[in-house]
Amino acid sequence: MTRGPLFHEQTARQRIAALVDPGSFDELLPPPDRITSPYLGQLGIPVSFDDGVVIGRAKIGGKKIYLAAQVGQFVGGAVGEIHGAKLTGLFKAAARDRLPCVVVIESGGVRLHEGSAGEIAIAETMRAIFECRARKVPTIAVIGTDIGAYGGMGILSTCCDFRVMSEHGRLGISGPIVIEKWMGKKAYDSSNRALVWKTSGGKTKYLLGDADALVHDTADAVRDAIAKLLGKSSAVTLKSVKTRQKELARRLKRFGETADPDAVWKGMGVRDIARASLASGPEFAAIARRGK
Amino acid sequence: MEKFAKAFPSSPLQAKTAKPWALAGVVGSGNLEVLLEVGGRPSDRMECHVETSIPGYKASWLAALADFAHNYPAGGTKVTINDQGAPPVLVNLRLRQAYDHLIKSNK
Amino acid sequence: MKKPSARTLFARLFGTSARGISVEKSVLTGYAAADGTKVCVIGTCNGTYIDNAAALRLAAHVIDCIEHHPKTPIVMLVDSAGQEPNRVAEMLGLASYFGHLLSCLELARRKGHKLITVATGQAVGGAFICYGMFGDRIYALDSASVGLMPVEAMSAVTKIPVPVLRKLSKTMPSLEFGARPFALLGGVEEVWSAKEDLQKRLAKAIKVATTEDNRAELGKKRGGRKLALDIRKKVLAAASR
Repeated sequence: MTRGPLFHEQTARQRIAALVDPGSFDELLPPPDRITSPYLGQLGIPVSFDDGVVIGRAKIGGKKIYLAAQVGQFVGGAVGEIHGAKLTGLFKAAARDRLPCVVVIESGGVRLHEGSAGEIAIAETMRAIFECRARKVPTIAVIGTDIGAYGGMGILSTCCDFRVMSEHGRLGISGPIVIEKWMGKKAYDSSNRALVWKTSGGKTKYLLGDADALVHDTADAVRDAIAKLLGKSSAVTLKSVKTRQKELARRLKRFGETADPDAVWKGMGVRDIARASLASGPEFAAIARRGK
Repeated sequence: MEKFAKAFPSSPLQAKTAKPWALAGVVGSGNLEVLLEVGGRPSDRMECHVETSIPGYKASWLAALADFAHNYPAGGTKVTINDQGAPPVLVNLRLRQAYDHLIKSNK
Repeated sequence: MKKPSARTLFARLFGTSARGISVEKSVLTGYAAADGTKVCVIGTCNGTYIDNAAALRLAAHVIDCIEHHPKTPIVMLVDSAGQEPNRVAEMLGLASYFGHLLSCLELARRKGHKLITVATGQAVGGAFICYGMFGDRIYALDSASVGLMPVEAMSAVTKIPVPVLRKLSKTMPSLEFGARPFALLGGVEEVWSAKEDLQKRLAKAIKVATTEDNRAELGKKRGGRKLALDIRKKVLAAASR
């Protein structure tokens, strides 16, 4: 058996092709439409025909979905006016047509070169995500690359019903370099990859319950995880927010004074830190389940 | 930024493609995207549009594109490129990838 | 423009009922009234950074309002420089704390609470996204610093020189920092001058608010964000073909 390409190494278009049923992807506002940023050129930055996000309709296991994949190589996958409007439109279409919406996130957040326009677009997309959720339309964020989901896109991912992560994925708001600049290298050494991933990587997020699935770094594994979630949704009710409030308060109380991520892992029931660090996503998920 | 366009003689694209376009590559540092489209153009020329963040290499671009138009039957296509400083060897690879995607979409 | 102190500002917005707002570590929670309309108040002051605990306190107050004060409008005051830039905050999932706060606000909206935001001081980046920008209608004082980040900070990150950004911001309001350019993009409904009767303004804002997100329409009408609405419509149209 040959090993397929790794999810985190693929481009957005390759990921889509590998995730969906063969031939089922129908791109909306495809490259020939040439809807490109009017701002980037003025700053000497080349444009891209999809403005850094590929959106469309597809099927997974025969089920119709809407799907977006951000292009991390293009301005860090950051959200500008057009990019953001494509995302908003897609989630609005999903709410309207009552079809699940999956977003493969690979983004540092707002595209600084387009300033506040991208910031507002992220806020608008969040409103559209909650439109889906009010209609019990599943919304799923996939985070499986080093660029991860940061800034506004990190927050946006937490608005979705579910998050599927691989151990390569990172979820947060402020990135390590920003924090290091702010707090000093002693507080956060951004070159310490193990620390960075234990702070924001898929394993820690899964352990704390912020990621709903932790999968192998392949499109097949990501697709299987998505397929399992397509029929589900997580309603926002008084009961659900009260439960969450308690969970998050408990987490803060237990670990708020802890600087060491290993203490969090131990606290969450991981006995053998070294083994868990080396474990694959699914193996780690099994260890985490046993710890609970 | 530098922008230019030129058409090159090329023999007609052999088969009818199922999809009217194909894209290869991404816009990122040292990379480029190539959009290849068919339809509604003279069948004996490959029309090229280039936008690059690194000015001053127009001659190399035109040479690479002329070369491709000469070596592949790409008549009737339109090539549009967004470039962020890709090396020439990558330009050639992306052109071939886009071309292959377009031809393969025939199946 | 001189920035009014937090308490002075509360008094301008809520009169004597501002006593009902308690401030703890620059996080505000409470109940007050604007021109006779009873409101729930959440927010930040003194440009504080929002951390996990702050997000939880705001969320708890929103839950309290939903449980004990049905349909009471929620006024969100924003004066925060951003999310707490801290590794431990990140490790514990600050994004999820923000997502929880947003979920609570969404629940309130669905249960008939109107959500009105007033940017009173700094309303920057993640701190604005995590609750203020989630209002039904968003207002800003003319003295407020609203936007992604000041041009100097943008220059530091993008390596594009400040003069270049300044020049571009003349034609690109999205690059400019402040309440008025943000309003041009549709991100703020209306900019209020501190000289006005803010209680009346706020009461009226509550009255006329609807849950329809109108920001893309406003951005197009005002010319600061011309593309967003049309592209969204294009996606919706293409998706129904």
